[in-house]
Amino acid sequence: MTAVDEQLWSAIGDPTRRQMLDLLVESGSGTASTLGEALPVSRQAVAKHLVVLENVDLVASTVVGRERIYQPNPAQLERAAAQLAEVGAAWDRRLSRIAALAEELEERRLRGEG
Amino acid sequence: MEFGKIERSVHIDASPTTVFEVITSPDHLKEWWPDKAELEAVSGSVGKLYFGSDTPEITVADVEPPRLFSFRWTYPDGEEAREDNSLHVTFELEEANGGTLLRMTETGFRQKGWEVAQLEEHYRRNVSGWDHFLPRLVAYAPTVKGSA
Repeated sequence: MTAVDEQLWSAIGDPTRRQMLDLLVESGSGTASTLGEALPVSRQAVAKHLVVLENVDLVASTVVGRERIYQPNPAQLERAAAQLAEVGAAWDRRLSRIAALAEELEERRLRGEG
Repeated sequence: MEFGKIERSVHIDASPTTVFEVITSPDHLKEWWPDKAELEAVSGSVGKLYFGSDTPEITVADVEPPRLFSFRWTYPDGEEAREDNSLHVTFELEEANGGTLLRMTETGFRQKGWEVAQLEEHYRRNVSGWDHFLPRLVAYAPTVKGSA
């Protein structure tokens, strides 16, 4: 499972791939050509990035005629977002605990000194 | 923007010295994080965190009381903590409004992947759809809540 996650995160880690995901989400689907037109990278580079995204299930493709059409995969994107959110939420809990502890400690000290 | 960076800040009504103590001393650490901690706030020292039967190592990086404390964790057993195999947690403390502004960042997710995400069972939430996903993915990554 961790291997899958690492791949997922390194796939998302690339800014061009994130832009591609954004575009696919916005328009619902796209091809290497349509994405290449919207981005300052070659069609070939786009095709490579699409392979990476498809390997980690962030996008799925179907062949229609001579074109391969890519669609984003909501479940996998949601999974990635939830993982990030959970780590953030864990830190929220820790930080509010740190705040409470420090404030308690400080108050005890002030009382002790006063 | 760096993706996969967790960034938080919180105001605390206590002096930086007190806050520094809470984030570095094993006695206080166990109150906000692991069940138990073995840790010396000395740069380069290797300590241990206890989460039930899970006992990951932690390597102290920066120690500048009461302004800065950072460490690396979640790296593979038997390896030394490096930039590419661990997560780096940094606490910066700044005096503010008679208290402390505590800023926390956790970085390294991109290099490392997402081992912290072993909490996968927690994520089985029944949420779907782009409206939900995109704002969150974008919002959580670069800057979040309170961090300017």
